[in-house]
Amino acid sequence: MGFKKQVFLLLLLSVVTGTRVSAQTWVVPDDQKAVVAPMKFTPDMQKQGEQVYLKNCQSCHGLPGKDNWAKLTPPPGDLAKEKAQKQTDGEIFYRITTGKIPMPEFRNIIPEDDRWAVIAFLRSFNPKYVQPAPKALAAFTGRSVTLEMQYSDPMKKIVVTAHEKLKDNSNVPAAGIEVLLSVKRYFGSLQVGEMRTTNARGEATFEFPADLPGNNTGNVDLTARVNDPKSQMKTTPATGTFAIGVPTDRPGLTETRAWWSTRGNAPIWLLLTYTLSVIIVWGIIIYIVSSILKIKKLSTHG
Amino acid sequence: MTMDDNKLTFEKITADLTHHIRINKGFVIWMGFLTVSLLACLFAYSLQLRTGLGVAGIRDYVTWGLYLSNFVFFVAASLIGMLVSAVLGLIGMKWITPITRIAETIAVAFAAVAGLVIVSDMGRPERLAYVFIYGRPQSPILWDVTVIVTYFVLSLMLLYLPLIADMAIIHNSKVAIPSWLRSIYKRFSLNFTDSPEQNRIINRSIRVLLILLVPAALSIHTVTSWLFAVTSRAGWDSSIFGPYFVSGAFVAGSAAVIIAMFFFRKNYKLENYLTDLHFNNMGKVLATVSLVYLYFNINEYLVPGYKLKRADAVHLQELLAGRDALLFWMVQIGGLVIPILFLLFRRFRKPVPVLVISIAVLIAAWFKRYLIVIPTQEHPFLPIQHVPQNFVHYSPTLIESMITIAPFILVLIIITLISKFFPVIPLHETAVEKGAEHIRFE
Repeated sequence: MGFKKQVFLLLLLSVVTGTRVSAQTWVVPDDQKAVVAPMKFTPDMQKQGEQVYLKNCQSCHGLPGKDNWAKLTPPPGDLAKEKAQKQTDGEIFYRITTGKIPMPEFRNIIPEDDRWAVIAFLRSFNPKYVQPAPKALAAFTGRSVTLEMQYSDPMKKIVVTAHEKLKDNSNVPAAGIEVLLSVKRYFGSLQVGEMRTTNARGEATFEFPADLPGNNTGNVDLTARVNDPKSQMKTTPATGTFAIGVPTDRPGLTETRAWWSTRGNAPIWLLLTYTLSVIIVWGIIIYIVSSILKIKKLSTHG
Repeated sequence: MTMDDNKLTFEKITADLTHHIRINKGFVIWMGFLTVSLLACLFAYSLQLRTGLGVAGIRDYVTWGLYLSNFVFFVAASLIGMLVSAVLGLIGMKWITPITRIAETIAVAFAAVAGLVIVSDMGRPERLAYVFIYGRPQSPILWDVTVIVTYFVLSLMLLYLPLIADMAIIHNSKVAIPSWLRSIYKRFSLNFTDSPEQNRIINRSIRVLLILLVPAALSIHTVTSWLFAVTSRAGWDSSIFGPYFVSGAFVAGSAAVIIAMFFFRKNYKLENYLTDLHFNNMGKVLATVSLVYLYFNINEYLVPGYKLKRADAVHLQELLAGRDALLFWMVQIGGLVIPILFLLFRRFRKPVPVLVISIAVLIAAWFKRYLIVIPTQEHPFLPIQHVPQNFVHYSPTLIESMITIAPFILVLIIITLISKFFPVIPLHETAVEKGAEHIRFE
């Protein structure tokens, strides 16, 4: 390989890496930039937005205008400052919605209206801001699917039925819908079985395992939802409680006496050891102090 | 030289052991220096109170910094009262008599200040009482507060009880002491007249307290070690942390006592009472406890080194050959191995060499606590993403260092006051042991 070729490759490499670094900046798609709020920002909305902001945003961004954001890399910055305020409403909305590490994605945490309320709140720090005319979002054109769930006793199976609402408001069974079933547990939920696709009757059938623990009467809380990672449909999940688990009378982790439990549920042996040690040692100390006080009276020359 | 060689009269002993009890120029200058330094450090603390713990170098990774390692050191140093008075005293070592009060003074001073050191690590110190109001009996933090308070009270009583007879002797004698001090002596000597009942009460109380002191002292440092050992973090996750801390405490405490002995002997002219014998014996004690501590050190680092769980591997690598290696080896070799080797020879247990060794040991003991507390936190199991560089590696700030120095100044103030206004060496006991006749209380 000739020297020139090496230099060329080196240059190419540096250009490629250079582009990769610049790709790290957070670009908002043009169509998203153009999005405007579907409602007029009102003082009430700003107040509501303030509450949402204090709960979700303040820990990193600080209070707007106070420049007290958390010292993180990259710096979160003060959102009342020009750098943040020169963005369009659509840009801010997009960033809140999608997030980008280390900023969290708030798509499923803050409802849409509240996201707009936060923007209304932030705009209240910008005297130059004039809100563009509100534009209601275009009517939703995707499929609208509603799930229902039933337990079929003879089959010992969970049957989830999907219905689709058509434009003429009629309901028809929806085929080819991917359905996920999950059961609620201590923390979060546990998926039951594999994902199923509804058949021509709109039905997906799940076998429910015979050994899953339920509550003391065997009840389990199930949720069926449509697998729609790109949010192309408007879906309504189905929930239900069925007595199909193994009845389990197990107290919660902090409901019994244990090392890790709350203060009211400390183990008896530990309470006794601690209390008795303190009582015995301090009892002796108090006894000794009282006997020392007697020394004065025992003086031979009064 | 044994004690029988120089039979001293009661008057001579009283004069020797009390001539330093007066306010002289040196004392005023020294106390003035300490007070000014303390005020400067308190100013640093006021900054922390106002602005919060952010003024210190502690961050999300290293949340226990200088303050906590200082706390461990203070608790450690206070343990010496138990080793000298209780362990050596109860097994009948007679030579410790002139050292007991020095050891108890050090114990009281360090135990009293240890609690304050913890408060300096609190962002909201006014919530200290919450430990008791909301504390869980399962938590070593609650036990720690309990045992430190208990140990402090026990040590204070053990300092006071032998002083009763001494104060009675002095306030009835012709020794020239300030009149306000004489009235304090009168009040706190409880009309002690050496009657058999009075002696019975005092001797019995001392004996009971000494027995109580052993479990109390073991608890305070064992529980302090549990603050670390009950977590699963690399470097702290160890079942021998209790004895490891206790033996380390004896090393630091013995060194502190030797330094104090040397200082008092020279400044208060106590050569007839703190003799080469005492330095020789304390040198042996230091060598013994250092050997025990070395044994625990080998266990503590060698055994995890063979299992090399991932986090342990990183931690040990940093200590033995990484960022902390220089400090680690200086502490282990300069503060433990070399002192032990020197202390094996009698000539290095003479006052001056044993003083030099003790100073090295004590400084190393402080840095040893730093090595126990801080490096572990620089390697968390779940590293945080996108953190600023100053979260990853801990470096103390100036304000933090000043707040760390403050407890030392406080300890010096307490030791200075106690040793200046009371006999450093138990007067009554020494007079009895030296066979002095005509001990007068009236």
